[in-house]
Amino acid sequence: MNFTRRTLLATAGAALATRPLGALAAGKLPRNVRLVIGSKSTGGDTYQNSAIVADALAKELDINIKVDAVGATQAFKALERDSRGTTMMIFHDQSYLGWLYGRTGYVDPFKTYAIGPTVAINPGNAYLVAKNSPYKTMGDVFKAAADGKRIRVAIQPGGVSEIGFSAMKNAAKVMHPGSEKNLVAVNTGSQSDKNQALWDDLADVINGSIQANEQFTQLDASDKKAMRFIWITARQKTLEQAPEKGMGKTTRDDLLKYASPETSVTLDGKKDFTFDKEFFFMFNKKMDPAIIETVNQGLAAVFKKGEIQKRQKAAFFIPNYLPTDQALAHLKDKADTYAKVIKDIRS
Amino acid sequence: MDLLSFVTPLFLTLIVSGTVIGIVFGSIPGLTATMAVAVCLPLTYSLGLNNGLGLLLGLYVGGISGGLVPAILLGIPGTPSSITTTFDGYPMAKRGEGERALRIGIVSSVVGGLISLAVLVLFAPLLADFAIDFSYVEKFLIILFALTVMAALSKDMLLGIFSGVLGIFISLIGTYDVSNGGNGKERLIPPGTEYWLQDGFSLLPVLIGLFGLAAILEEAELGVPKGQSMKDIKVGAHSRFSFSVFGGQIVNLVRSSLIGTFVGILPGVGGSAASILSYTNAKTFSRHPERFGKGEPAGIIASESGNNGLTGGALVPLLSLGIPGDSTTALLIGAFTLQGVQVGPLFISGNTETWNAMIVAMLIANVAMFVVMYLAIRWLALAVTIPKHILFPIILMMCVIGAYTINYGIMFDVWTLLIFGIGGWLMGKVGLEVAPFIIGFILGPSAEVYFVKTLESFGTLTIFFTKSWIAVVLWLLIAGSVATSVWMSRRHRRLDEG
Amino acid sequence: MADLFKVHINFATSQLIFPTIIACVLAVLGIAIAITHRHRIAGAGAHWRAIAGRMDKMRFFGAIGLTLVYFSTMQPVGNLWPNTGMGFLLTSIPFVFLCGVLFLHDRRPGNMIGLTVAALVAPTLVWWVFADLFFLTLP
Repeated sequence: MNFTRRTLLATAGAALATRPLGALAAGKLPRNVRLVIGSKSTGGDTYQNSAIVADALAKELDINIKVDAVGATQAFKALERDSRGTTMMIFHDQSYLGWLYGRTGYVDPFKTYAIGPTVAINPGNAYLVAKNSPYKTMGDVFKAAADGKRIRVAIQPGGVSEIGFSAMKNAAKVMHPGSEKNLVAVNTGSQSDKNQALWDDLADVINGSIQANEQFTQLDASDKKAMRFIWITARQKTLEQAPEKGMGKTTRDDLLKYASPETSVTLDGKKDFTFDKEFFFMFNKKMDPAIIETVNQGLAAVFKKGEIQKRQKAAFFIPNYLPTDQALAHLKDKADTYAKVIKDIRS
Repeated sequence: MDLLSFVTPLFLTLIVSGTVIGIVFGSIPGLTATMAVAVCLPLTYSLGLNNGLGLLLGLYVGGISGGLVPAILLGIPGTPSSITTTFDGYPMAKRGEGERALRIGIVSSVVGGLISLAVLVLFAPLLADFAIDFSYVEKFLIILFALTVMAALSKDMLLGIFSGVLGIFISLIGTYDVSNGGNGKERLIPPGTEYWLQDGFSLLPVLIGLFGLAAILEEAELGVPKGQSMKDIKVGAHSRFSFSVFGGQIVNLVRSSLIGTFVGILPGVGGSAASILSYTNAKTFSRHPERFGKGEPAGIIASESGNNGLTGGALVPLLSLGIPGDSTTALLIGAFTLQGVQVGPLFISGNTETWNAMIVAMLIANVAMFVVMYLAIRWLALAVTIPKHILFPIILMMCVIGAYTINYGIMFDVWTLLIFGIGGWLMGKVGLEVAPFIIGFILGPSAEVYFVKTLESFGTLTIFFTKSWIAVVLWLLIAGSVATSVWMSRRHRRLDEG
Repeated sequence: MADLFKVHINFATSQLIFPTIIACVLAVLGIAIAITHRHRIAGAGAHWRAIAGRMDKMRFFGAIGLTLVYFSTMQPVGNLWPNTGMGFLLTSIPFVFLCGVLFLHDRRPGNMIGLTVAALVAPTLVWWVFADLFFLTLP
């Protein structure tokens, strides 16, 4: 008798203890949140940016947030499995570019997931040539393509690294129809592969970044490794928010010379093509909208305080908080523009 | 004295505690140096750059070294880079020479670490320039050379090579990885399993399944016999360790350290290849290649000096090109950018203090690793005296942690552990060999990328021979390794028949 | 002559090149093994009967069974307390205990106490270090 009562009590106690953690009140954020990201690297920009955001948000909302670098396909799966709000995701434009380029494992994120607020921009996406290359500017590249020269561009296919290349082809097509055929992709992988492709003379132009390649642009032209920026894809208004001293020995003013409008890669003959790598939240479509709103409010408060901006800028990110509704409209607009570019160069 | 102003008590404490934590991570099957660095990376933000790097480099050196302990005592490699240590370490331990094997491993580790550190200090920028002469072609040949060890390791040449090629085949399951230069398309995935196998099998769960779970299953099959309990692997019983074991091995020691260093310098060849390559070399040039795999100290020397040689080497491309040499140094990039420090060809000249701090930290970490491990041998050995019925379930539990956390929380990696545990047991029963299999599995993806990319870029098969003098040297090494294996297997057969 | 060695790789289908080569090598080796080891292959039935005869079936299949249950309950249990690692902790304790009992020959109280302590302490310690201290995601 005694034994049964104790057992009953213990079971009841356990059931009670479970409740606040297991079953969630509507709109209430879970205490322990897992933030999966679309990258497998804990040394890369997605992880760093997510760690900074998770840190600040966890303090603001007084919850625990773990950042897990599971990679895009696994992150999407984890997000689809969990609608309780215990799993969230941060990723960047790759999430829809992967889909636009038809990569395996990617679906239309606007249909499949709930898009959350944007948090930061990595303005670093750039294209470079060897320092002793005959092409000094994008103008030289387009002219050579129009003259029938074959120009090899090293990229990682199917996403952020390819979109700038697609834009180049599109611009070539707009300016000299037919010349886009002379811009050919050299499909490589990591940044190290792309650099190596340039040094092995397998590519004339490579995709790179301000952060990873700036020091190579400072080398003497006699050095085999020396490079030169020819294009930075960021918007002018994004780069203008970068620290004034820029990156390494390249000041912000120097950087602006490689970006629109000074360096022009046209979108349609009137406007320039630009691309900013923006980081944003994604949620399970069935997740309680009240939880999304809590996250949104939390982020708004974090950005209002102004501390996170300093950390982001120290790591060369541009703070970029857009609340949920604005973020969705902005990203959708971006995706539509790039969808058209990709479609045009394929037809 | 200004030069060493960063050497504070905190700095020293962080390096030493990093090294100790690293050793613990390395010596638990399933946990790796990379994971140790990953979990401690967030701490470094508040520590500042020099102190943070001290901690991380300690973890790195400790983590790579700790792997030799379970490799020798239990036959389970603590980290992928200590696979080749099991080949001779475990047979020695079973012979009752566990303590001797541990000492050999620890001394080789510190020598490897220090030699590679010296190379880093003296030649970093120079070597980085040499490393970028290695295009897809040369990298493929290096992998091919490492693969020739499959033949040398096999007990039955035909079955061994078959196992190795099977390992390559299974490593190709999944997606042709875009981040390595592939096209992102899937292949070899059995219909219906796409959800799980999209990314293929991960190395770590495969490794601990084949070496950890399979060994436990084998024991269970025999009823977990008490008689030949691991207690009998008396760690220090008969054999006295003396430095004379290194007498004829100086060349091996230095060569393996340099090979390890060089593999570290080459971006994209992969950390585990370091010890595999040194082991292949040691066996090819040994006067007694037939003793390898049966408890030959030279095998441990090659493997352990090779994998510790990696530590200094992998920092060369990181600090002189901004490109990580292996998966652990890839995380160090995170530590730099978190602090707003740029890595690239100008890093060393532009950040003298950080550069000095890193060198000092590596030096201290190596010394600390040596002292801690050498003093701890007796206690390390205690692990072996834990009764099997407690040790085995706990090892399994640790393997689960390792498998689950290696990709930050994927349940399929835990199932991989079970699949390859049972698979490894079955392989043993049908005469397939685990050692060549895992080497094929490790090297398969790189072999693919470099082979296909070579043909894609150069468009001709002849390029493999005509690319450069480096390619020619590598072909000679490959031929030498194959010839040794064939010669040995012939001699074996003659001995068997005679 | 040089044309003989020319190859053109189509990037869009290049994921199949290496697997095809490896599959062919594997097939050739398989055939070679089938021929040279035909006697052993013919004797496979006896080989497996001998293994089955010697095997401690309870411990072998028991270990596999326990592992299966352990792995398959881990995540569902963990889902009750999301992102706390409780699934790992609450399944590891019984697993270590039961697996220990299975492997133990001499099930006297003395041995059982040691095992019980190990089964309680080891998973808890590991859970504390990894889930709490290092803040890793566990099931």
